[in-house]
Amino acid sequence: MADDSKDPFALWRKMMGEMEKGFNTFANQAMSSPQFSKTMNQAGGATVGAQKQLGNLMEKYLLAMNMPSRAQMVDMAERLQSIEGHLNEIKTLLQQMSAVNGMTRDSAAAASKPPRTKRPPQPAGDTKQPPGEKK
Amino acid sequence: MSALASLDDLVSLPERIQSEVQRAIQRSIKGVEYFSTSGPSLGSTPKDVVHVRGTMHLYHYRPLADEVYRVPILIVMATTNRGYILDMVPGQSFIEFLLKRGYDVYMLDWSPPKPEEKSLGMEDYVLDFIPDCIRRVQQDSGEQDVSVIGYCFGGVLSLLYGAIFPDGPMKNLICFTTPVDFRELELFSSFADRRYFDVDHLVDNIGNVPPEMILSSFEMLRPGSRVASQVQLWDNIWNDEYVKSYRMFDRWATDTLPLAGEYFRAITKDLLWDNKLYNDTMTVGGRAADLSRIKVPILHAVAEHDHIVPYEAAKHLIAKVGSNDKEEVMLKGGHVSLVAGANAIKRLWPKLDSWLCGRST
Repeated sequence: MADDSKDPFALWRKMMGEMEKGFNTFANQAMSSPQFSKTMNQAGGATVGAQKQLGNLMEKYLLAMNMPSRAQMVDMAERLQSIEGHLNEIKTLLQQMSAVNGMTRDSAAAASKPPRTKRPPQPAGDTKQPPGEKK
Repeated sequence: MSALASLDDLVSLPERIQSEVQRAIQRSIKGVEYFSTSGPSLGSTPKDVVHVRGTMHLYHYRPLADEVYRVPILIVMATTNRGYILDMVPGQSFIEFLLKRGYDVYMLDWSPPKPEEKSLGMEDYVLDFIPDCIRRVQQDSGEQDVSVIGYCFGGVLSLLYGAIFPDGPMKNLICFTTPVDFRELELFSSFADRRYFDVDHLVDNIGNVPPEMILSSFEMLRPGSRVASQVQLWDNIWNDEYVKSYRMFDRWATDTLPLAGEYFRAITKDLLWDNKLYNDTMTVGGRAADLSRIKVPILHAVAEHDHIVPYEAAKHLIAKVGSNDKEEVMLKGGHVSLVAGANAIKRLWPKLDSWLCGRST
């Protein structure tokens, strides 16, 4: 069988792997420096500031256009979330009721619960009590 | 001998070229397929929603065994990612494995916190969401005892819960790749250097921390890997199994969740800056969360090549908990391949089953 070191395709793949490792190591070293953290966070802080200002500007624009503000949308979302919650509770109750009455196969399957009697398998020829088992 | 070897190389080279040409043709065909089809359907193990409240989702997976262990399991997922990493596809699903081995499985999973949930703090997760889910698991299963499995930061939340509620009802605790010494998360610590990172400015201005920022910080740990993985995908696009696996993991890795603003502020200040979990000074909602108060049996699985939570950050967990029955197991793999994928099937899952089965009766 031919040696992989003579296979140009295998060599190329190996080289790619080594390049990735080398680049990651180099980048990690660079990113560990306080200078990197300082630069990254300065840029990030400026972006956050700009984002906030843009958000404020947009809010004023929406108000001027007689459109719902963000706060109003959030209120609406909260109400929808609350309605969703109630619907989920009603759905769960309905599923439980229909399972009890045997109305659907799906809900019956969901409600049927296997007995909680399973014991851990004993290794062949070992009668020792398994760890954590009550004596 | 060397002359013979050189002759072999010369003979095999045309075959290798032919093989590469065939692969190149396959790449063109499969490449079109790749862009015209969606990936495999993930997280398809049948489950029921037990409860939803805002970002919190509690699921119960339908049993796949005729008989189950007495103690149910609650899996607490990391708040940065989706729970389907533990339920990829049939045959590669940790959940399916547990169900087939006779466990009754619940999962506390997270949806993106909405803007109005920016005020959720560490106390909401540890003192409200987890206890609420435990109560609902108890009600649903009819059992008082519950085993908890926490993955990554889900492990941190589970530890905090266990430390604050040492008298139960948690019966067993299993942590996967859970950091305790946050100084050892060197790059995260550097990104969040308190001299330059104004977390208050960030949270006060944008509320929830966007998923792009979380994803970028993960990708910056291995900045060359994104490009390299694209090249590897192109190289292996003729291989259906490789492509399927790539699509599953890539979809999950990029499906990052935003973090609630106050929660992120607490992680930054208490854990990354003050390293309170390691220093035994952590409090949540004014309640001490000293790990030595945890007395339940505990298993901590760590990965040998974990670039997100290196062993140095995780190794103190077992020493710090007060349990007599405690074990750390280091397995080959990375942060994700430890719990999902081909290696997990062979290594972690059987280990977990053998540890937990005797403690679940």
